[in-house]
This record gives sequence, C-alpha cells and structure tokens, in this order.
Amino acid sequence: MSVTTVFGAAAAGQGIGPSGVAVSGVSRSFGAVSVLRDATLTVPAGSVTALIGPNGSGKTTLLLMLATLLTPDTGTIRINGHDPVTEPERVRALMGWMPDTLGSWPSLSARAALQTTGRLYRMTREQAALRADELIALTDLGDFADRPARVLSRGQKQRLSLARALVHSPGVLLLDEPASGLDPASRASLRQLLRRLAGDGTSILVSSHVLAELDEMADAAVYLADGRTASPEQVAAAGASARAWRIRSLDEAALERALAAPGVVGPLVQVLGVDQLGTLVQVENEASAAALLHNLVLSGVPVCDFGPAVGNLEHTFLDLTRSTEPNREATK
Amino acid sequence: MTDSRVFLTGLWLIVTLELRQRVRGVSWYVLLGVFMLLVGIVTFLLWLATSAWLSGGGGVFSTIIFFVLLLGTLVSPALSGNAVNGDREAGTLATTQVTLISTGQLVLGKFLAAWITALAFLAAALPFLIFAVVLGEVSLATIAVSVLVLAAELGVIAAVGVGLSGILTRPLFSIVLTYLVVAALSLGTLIAFALLGTATQQQATSVNYYVVSSTFDEATGRQSDIVCSTAETTTFDVARFDYYWWILAANPYVVVADAAPGTFNDDGYPTDLFGQIAVGVRSAQAPPELFTESNGCEEAAQSSFNDGRYTDGSFSDGGMYSGQTYGTGPTSQEIYDGAVPSWFIGLTMHLLLGAGALTWAWRRTRTPALHLSAGSRIA
Repeated sequence: MSVTTVFGAAAAGQGIGPSGVAVSGVSRSFGAVSVLRDATLTVPAGSVTALIGPNGSGKTTLLLMLATLLTPDTGTIRINGHDPVTEPERVRALMGWMPDTLGSWPSLSARAALQTTGRLYRMTREQAALRADELIALTDLGDFADRPARVLSRGQKQRLSLARALVHSPGVLLLDEPASGLDPASRASLRQLLRRLAGDGTSILVSSHVLAELDEMADAAVYLADGRTASPEQVAAAGASARAWRIRSLDEAALERALAAPGVVGPLVQVLGVDQLGTLVQVENEASAAALLHNLVLSGVPVCDFGPAVGNLEHTFLDLTRSTEPNREATK
Repeated sequence: MTDSRVFLTGLWLIVTLELRQRVRGVSWYVLLGVFMLLVGIVTFLLWLATSAWLSGGGGVFSTIIFFVLLLGTLVSPALSGNAVNGDREAGTLATTQVTLISTGQLVLGKFLAAWITALAFLAAALPFLIFAVVLGEVSLATIAVSVLVLAAELGVIAAVGVGLSGILTRPLFSIVLTYLVVAALSLGTLIAFALLGTATQQQATSVNYYVVSSTFDEATGRQSDIVCSTAETTTFDVARFDYYWWILAANPYVVVADAAPGTFNDDGYPTDLFGQIAVGVRSAQAPPELFTESNGCEEAAQSSFNDGRYTDGSFSDGGMYSGQTYGTGPTSQEIYDGAVPSWFIGLTMHLLLGAGALTWAWRRTRTPALHLSAGSRIA
C-alpha cells in the first residue's frame, strides 16, 4: 500500500469540513518541561493516519489532548468540529480512545467490562449487552469473555481495550500503540478491522512503533519529533534520501562477482556490505534500483530477493530522527 | 430522560461498579465475619460487666455504637483512601473519564460506595444493637439519634478518604493521611485539649478570714466576741480548659455521645456511656472560679454547735458563698442541662471537612486537566 503524507496546514487549506480531526499549532508543557511545541495535523474522515515519533516525542500527550483529558496550552483542536476543551461531552460521545496503559477493572470479566462501558455511554442495559456480544465476536475474545480481566494475557487485554474504545461506535478513533503485545494473527485482524472501520467513514489516528505494521494500513503519516510535527518539506526530503536495498541471490558468489564487475553498479549505487540476510547496497532512488536489478539479471545472477531494506515509514522516520538530533543539540 | 435522571443513573452505575470492584469476594465477608465475632464478644462481656439484665441495655448499646465507630474509622480509610488515585494507577480512571460520566458523578459515586461499605459494619452490628435494646432502658430517641449521627460520621471518614485519594497522587500517601486525619480527630483532639488547657494557666486568688479568738456560750452553742483575722490572700494557678472545650467537640466520639439525648437515673447520674462522656465534655465549659472568699468569722457567728453537732447556718445571704466550698455541688444531670450542647458544632465541622475534601478532589480530577502535579500520569 502506498503511503502519502498529509499535513495539517495543507489539508486544512483544502477545507476538510467538520468531520475528522484537525489539530493546529498545539503546544503543551508540564512545568518547565515542554512536551509538545507545535503540533499540526489532520485526520480526514475515512482514513487511517499514523502518528510516528521516537519515545518521548509527545505522541501520548497529543492523544490525551484529543481524548479530552488534557488541555493544550496553545493551539486549537477540533474533533468532528467540536472543541474538546469547551465541549468535552460532545467530543466524548463521538470519540473512542484506546490508551497505551492497559487498564481494565480487574475483578470484572471482559463481557461485564464492555457492558459497563456501554452503560457509561448511556446505553440501556439491553443495548449494552447486545453491543458487548458484538464486540466480543469482533475482537475474538469469546473464549475469555467470562473470565476476570486480571487473568487475561497482555494481548487479550489489548483486544479488550480496543473493544472498549469501540463500544459506542465512535466516528473518531484514537489508538495509542494498539499493536504492541499482539500476535501476528491478531495484528492482521487489527489491520483488517481498522481498514474496514475507515471504509465505513471512521477517522482513525494510530500511534505505533511497529512501523512496518503501519506501512500496511496507514493512508497517511504524521511525524512527531521533539514536540513538533515535521513539515512537508522535511518529510519529502527524508523520503527521497538515499536508502539501503537488500539483494539476495541463490548464488552469492555470482552476486559478489557481478557487483564487483565494472558497469553493473551505476554511479548512484554503493555497496554497503553483506549480512546474513543478503547484500546491502545504498541506492539513491528507485530508478537507479531498477537499473541495478536489470544489470544483475543481465549478468546472469539468480536474484531471488530485491527490495528496500526498511519500509517507507521507517526510512522517513529514521531519517527525520537523525536530522532532528543536531537541532536539539543546537537549541541547548 | 431528564437531566437529573441521567445524573442519578450514571451515579448509581459508578456506585455499583465501585462496590463490585472493591468489596466483592471472600475476603470481604471474612472481614465482616471477624467484625461480627468481635462485636459479639464485646456485647457478651459488657452484658456481664454492667449487669445489664438488671440495669438495662443503655451501657451495652452505647458501647457497641462506639465499637462500630472505632472499627469503621479503622477500616474505612483502607477501603476509601485509594478510590481515585488507585484507579489512576490501575489505568481505569481515564477510560471512565472519556465516557459520558462527569467528574462529579465519578467522585460522588466513589464516595457513596465507600460510605455504603462503612455502613455495612453498622448493619453487621445490628443484631447486637437489637439485643441491647431488648435489654431495656434504651430510649427510642437515643437509638435514632446515635445511629444517625454514627452513620454521618462514617460518611465523613469515607468523604475524607475519597477526597484525599483525589487530591494526592500516590495511593499509599492518601491512605496514610486519611488514617492521620482519623487519628487527629479521635486522639489528637484529646491531646490538644489536655495540653492547651494545662498550658493556659491563670492565677486565681482566694481570700480567707478566720477566727483568732472567741467566747463560746455553752447554753446557746454560739460564739460571741469574735476576733477576726486580717484577710489572708493566697494565689494559685488554675488550668483554663473552658477556653478549649470546642476542641473536644471535634472528636467524633464526643459528637455521637453529645448528640444522643442524655438519660439519667434518679440520682442524676448518666445511665450510658454517651451520658458520661457528654457530662465530662460539657463540664469543661464552666470557667474556674478565679476569686474565692471564705469568711470563717461570719460562719462562726451564724452557726451553732449543739450536742456535739455543728449545724450550718444560712449561706444564702450576700451571695458570698460560691457553693463549692460546702455542699455536694451540682449533679451530673445539672451540669449536663446547664451547658451548651456541642455536637452540632462538631458535626458541622466534620461535614464541612468531608464536603471540602470531596470538592477539592473534584477540582483536581476534572478533565480536560489544566494542571498536572509533578510526576503524575493522567492515564
């Protein structure tokens, strides 16, 4: 799936209307510690947007503000057109939040927890019971639904937490590290679930460290570093920078010979070395990668694997993180 | 649904959620069982000690009420002192706050659940209270007032516990501080009263006249030609407990005791523990005599000694005799009736304390949060 990066300033200019999430110039500090300096982003309705940033970059703080739990010092936030500071109740009615800490009432079963959450959203007893059954089926919790939450495994708690965020069928979904602790099958079903919800028009913002995971499900990405969202220029530059590709051949010796031969490796390609997974080469852009593959095949090398060593998001993320380090030093 | 209906539904939801969370399970019933056993033993021993089958159940009843207050104040902080910050640590507070439950419903619901939990101890003591009532001599007014005031006091402790759990970040701190508040009210007031009263000494003066010489008439039994001494003045220090009686009013045990209508026997002595404590506290209201004068010469002139018996003359003239130099003094009942009841002052102070703690907790727990104390996580 291709990833395009959408930015607050640009998208807000196009006018996305009242649906979705719009954050503009938000900052927040705790005492002397400035956690968010200038965050600007949008999540259009029906899209999955990834929120990516290193530890301590302010992802959770930003999500807490979107979830009506924390006020921003400056800037504005709109959730489907409502301000979480002045109209928290309207925002809460249409927003589902899955926190990074997995809290569930320990003595309640998953089913009881979901029913109670439904009642907290002012559902009737019958509606809440019905919805709890739906969600248990949806998140595949059936086998554990009647055990107390304290005996659930981390992955099961994670799924319960997701189910709880979905109780009131929110139009905006905020997920903080939803994939951590999930087994591959659960990750795949999470991905499918989020894509389906987005297809139904839900705006979804997902923060995660599992960037390969996000690569497959996100329509857009927002990079947060040092409390600031990266500008479109920074992201474009980072995405276009040289990156490593990995080549694996059935005949490693032939590959080595071909790479050493003149004319096979173009001027924009540089051999980085060999690891247990294959040979790494630095390739300036996709055109030179295509040319390299063409030359290798022509040289008779049996190539069985040829692709970027890291995903798009990870590549951009690592490049941006690297480029902000000197900045941080400079501001000190 | 109307607004108040929505509010109450949500409030009750929080109460039931709290009760299911905190007091479900075997250990809770074991605790109640141990409590009932203790109250049973205490009741039996009191029944023996006060000869309750003769004197009535007043003593037994009042002591059980105090016992419930004691155990309630010992258990309640542990059950209520981490209601809010414990949920925050467990990660269940924020997930509740993003629903349509308001902070008011949340704090109030947790308070009600803690109160109901404490009232369970009162309910467990009910069989023994009924037993005491069956023994007789316990007025309906005493039963109603003491049970209601006890329930209110347990509510105050629950409110303080829940309040502190919302104000402080760490559960251990808030539980310990709730215990300290209970200790300050139950024991601290006694210590403060005693220390402050003794530390505030005031000089009292006593003037004495005595007979230096006189002629005793055997026939009339009267003295004549009395030569009186000059005024002999002695000074000494008295403690002013009357300045500080209101400190005792803040003691929860005093509140319960003072609120119950005093019951006295024919000799003017209180028939239950409530009355004894109330008399003690109310007698502290009377200021000490700072100037006393005793005139032995006038006594000598007015009294007669006949047949080896010394009879008192009339002391009513001049108002010079304070009544404490001679005679038996006022009975307990007279002290009780002559002083100001203090329980509503204490109860008002406690209710303000509880309401203040809950209000503060509500302000601290409100979302979206403006301030976060250092090192605290919101979710």
